Amino acid sequence: MTEKRQIPIQVPVLARVEGEGTLELHVRDGAIEDLRLRIFEPPRMFEKLLEGRDYTEVADMVARICGICPVAYQMSAVQAIESLFGAEPGPWVRDMRRVFYCGEWIQSHSLHIHMLAAPDFLGYTSITEMAREHADEVRRGLRLQALGNEIIRLLGARSVHPVGARIGGFHHAPARAQVDALREKLQAALPEAEALVRWTAALNLPTEEQEFTAVSLRHPREYPMNEGRMVSNRGLDISADRFESRFVEHQEAHSTALHCLHDGKPYLVGPLARLNLNLDRLPAPVRNLADSVGIKFPSRNMYHSIVARAIEIVVAIREAIRLLEAYAEPSAPHVSVTPRAGTGYGCTEAPRGLLWHRYDIDAAGAVIKARIVPPTSQNQARIEEDLRTSLRSLGVRQGEAALRRRGEMVIRNYDPCISCATHFLDLRVHELTHA
Amino acid sequence: MLDRVHIVGVGSPFGDDRLGWVAAETLQRSSAVNALEPGRIVISILDRPGAMLLAHCRDADHVIVMDAVRSGAVPGTRHRLSVSDLADSRLPATSHGFGVAAALELARVLGNLPDRLLLYGIEMDASCSGCALSDAVAGVMPVFVREIEKEALAFANSVQSSRSKVS
Repeated sequence: MTEKRQIPIQVPVLARVEGEGTLELHVRDGAIEDLRLRIFEPPRMFEKLLEGRDYTEVADMVARICGICPVAYQMSAVQAIESLFGAEPGPWVRDMRRVFYCGEWIQSHSLHIHMLAAPDFLGYTSITEMAREHADEVRRGLRLQALGNEIIRLLGARSVHPVGARIGGFHHAPARAQVDALREKLQAALPEAEALVRWTAALNLPTEEQEFTAVSLRHPREYPMNEGRMVSNRGLDISADRFESRFVEHQEAHSTALHCLHDGKPYLVGPLARLNLNLDRLPAPVRNLADSVGIKFPSRNMYHSIVARAIEIVVAIREAIRLLEAYAEPSAPHVSVTPRAGTGYGCTEAPRGLLWHRYDIDAAGAVIKARIVPPTSQNQARIEEDLRTSLRSLGVRQGEAALRRRGEMVIRNYDPCISCATHFLDLRVHELTHA
Repeated sequence: MLDRVHIVGVGSPFGDDRLGWVAAETLQRSSAVNALEPGRIVISILDRPGAMLLAHCRDADHVIVMDAVRSGAVPGTRHRLSVSDLADSRLPATSHGFGVAAALELARVLGNLPDRLLLYGIEMDASCSGCALSDAVAGVMPVFVREIEKEALAFANSVQSSRSKVS
């Protein structure tokens, strides 16, 4: 992206997104006695920073929370604030927001599949090592990632921390010629994305199955992205304003990160949860593709997340093509809104899962209080649960190197928003024996 | 046909990590650069582009990357690395997760690395925080920028050669 603005806000703790994830294992007599994953999350700081800010600043500020999924933060925020104000941006804005989100899914999923997850399953320590023997696949991944970025730039002016979104719509509508050129690239990329699905399904993935609660949005007609009710495979079916009645974040003494539990229990959000709960919302050609790769969805194998991500790339490319085919330049790319005091709720599907926002706003449009629950917070208890199961299954008497490798693989599989940090997992094994 | 040059400043807003941005902003104001035909020297400011670094300079004949460097040298030490240096495993680590060195190494493995690529860096003072550069880095910034400006202008005025572009 080309940065043109100076950002005077100083939040040094943000640098910790490049920090370390620490997995602490307490083993007694060959059994896991305690397991703690420490993750330091930056979004908490933003909730406080948003207080006192005008509603018009929120979309740009929350885009700064994450360099990989800024669109998700913007979309949950605008949904929350517009629902409070009673704004109705209309079909053009709705369609373009979905296209915007498709771009983010494509770039984020491509990044995760190729740079983070695939090297684990192919026995490499990095994408660079993998590229020596799988250059074509890595090139394909980089092309798909670049295409996702291009969609984000189309509507957001730049791909990292985009600035195109606003309450009421977008600041700018792209020209028809730009849209047509991009649509042609998407069309050309579709076979590559379909090949990616087959490639991920053919990887030698671990076969362990686990019981877990999956939570995602569900829309009456579409594969969920920007809208829908929150549902689970255990019967949950609520609107975003009811989130706090069924989901509670709490502080764990061992970490600055909050753990979010659903009815007191860990749960999964993200591509596998979405796919498991929305198979009947896949466009027919994508459903056929998913059915053809030899994996039975819904799946209880967490490692099928990489295949779910690839399937969602195909969904996103098809959706973007469909929506851009009908593109017409609007008379105005946004509607005006009038602030109203109260509380607004928003929930959308970030690449790595549900992203829930709540804003208390005063009559002048200033934020009184903000609450943001990111997917990484929601998945953290599930990751720890998975780690316990997986490391127990592997055998804790394995050497530290094997435990670290498996621990990293488990954590990376969830695509935590601090993915780069989990590359440098610091494993501390405390071996205890009875006296 | 004259060559196209792409200069990229990589960094973040914090401390000396922003030195690539400061250098790029200074070059954007350069009268010598601005006197050229538009597009001959493109200057970008990037926030940790990771593996997508070279995707930003796809059409360039020459690429100059500017970034903060941590190699253990004295803060303020200037580094100039060529393509051949990049193949050297002793390359100093830059300050980002999947950093500039990793991105360029990936490009090399994929055969996308241009021969004419230079990495300019300044040894950062890791203890420097806030929004201003450390004295050590700020002190060498003028000569750092002048050197890059001179090199970029020489590139921009060279006749296009037969070497492959960044792809």
